[in-house]
Amino acid sequence: MPEFEKVEYKPKPVREILLEMKNLSELMIDLAYSAALFNDKELAEEVLELEKKVDTLAYLLDMTIMIAARNAEDAEALAGVAKVAGATDKISDAAADIATIVKQNIGIHPIVTKIFEQAEEHIARARVDEKSVMVGKKIGKLNLTAKIGVDIIAIRRGRDWIVKPSDDEKILADDILIARGTPLGISKFRDIAEGKIKRIVGVKDDATAK
Amino acid sequence: MMQQQSNHDEKFKEIVEKFVELKNTSELMIDLAYSSLLLNSKELAEGVYKLEEYVDKLHTEYELAVLSSKFKEEEAKGILGLIRLGVVTEEIADAAAEIAEVVLREIEPHPVMKLVIEEADETATYVRVSEGSPLVNKTLKEARIQEETGMQVLAIKRGDRYLRPKPDLMINIGDVIIASGFAEGEENLKKLASPSGLEESSRAE
Repeated sequence: MPEFEKVEYKPKPVREILLEMKNLSELMIDLAYSAALFNDKELAEEVLELEKKVDTLAYLLDMTIMIAARNAEDAEALAGVAKVAGATDKISDAAADIATIVKQNIGIHPIVTKIFEQAEEHIARARVDEKSVMVGKKIGKLNLTAKIGVDIIAIRRGRDWIVKPSDDEKILADDILIARGTPLGISKFRDIAEGKIKRIVGVKDDATAK
Repeated sequence: MMQQQSNHDEKFKEIVEKFVELKNTSELMIDLAYSSLLLNSKELAEGVYKLEEYVDKLHTEYELAVLSSKFKEEEAKGILGLIRLGVVTEEIADAAAEIAEVVLREIEPHPVMKLVIEEADETATYVRVSEGSPLVNKTLKEARIQEETGMQVLAIKRGDRYLRPKPDLMINIGDVIIASGFAEGEENLKKLASPSGLEESSRAE
């Protein structure tokens, strides 16, 4: 039996919970398709982790809605919110189902993967090594989009997720970065994160450099 | 034997094309569904519903293409994976339709909903690109619609098809640009889509 977390109520604005569910579920779809098309087990694992997180948020949202409704009018308005949250949860479940195709070793037909390798952008994950030049740098300063054509679309820090990180977000050692880009760009990105490439052209190692 | 191999590859190209269309449409539906909610736009929500029917049709075509690929026994697993991928993609489209349903039921969106999608007070607008407009034959990236008008392009409707607004998508005469933004931007977008263009236009179409 898998372990299920008991969800305890803690006050958090409905707005924040729903927004987080929406952002996480959209990220999950991107990651899940990429995991399936390129048979990436690590990415599939991240999707399944995210699914648990969205499930927890869905519980929390239900509780918050129950507490918020004081009369028939509230209930009418909040029913719509509950419906939308339910649909968002369904999207995240669907993404998890895609990840399961990879996890159960079913995979998709190799010819399809081959066609996609030529056409589609890849999404990959990489753990930031403490020796990587990325450590302590802001995403904006690394400017990976211009330099190697790679966008960081999410960061996992322990159990926390930062979706669509801003340019001001600092990268820390042991962060799991999720990035999108061309196959070549992605392979460079991995080497940079893992500390195999020590220098990105134009990014000074010196922390005082502007 | 060679002939057989090339038929096999052709079939898989068709499978991939149908899958890409299925996936793009379902993702577009999610975008449009949340937008319909934010903008409280029945028109957009109806669009999502129509796309759901399109996805159903597409899904059947995709499954038939996969099942008629004359696969060998050792390929069965990969074929199963493709079938499951299609099923799940349709589930995503269904979830988007459920979100649109909230709008179609005239449940007044709860204030928190608008906060979730952040930009309140905006409307969804449909603008047809006419012949002679400076937008014709430009890619979305070149057209700089957001920079020029402040309107965010949600989708392009071409005939019965809805296209995702990718930067390299070329704008054609007769395309309907679906965008969200404030009233002023809407006027500017209408001008931009007309033969007069944005600058010297004195009248909106």
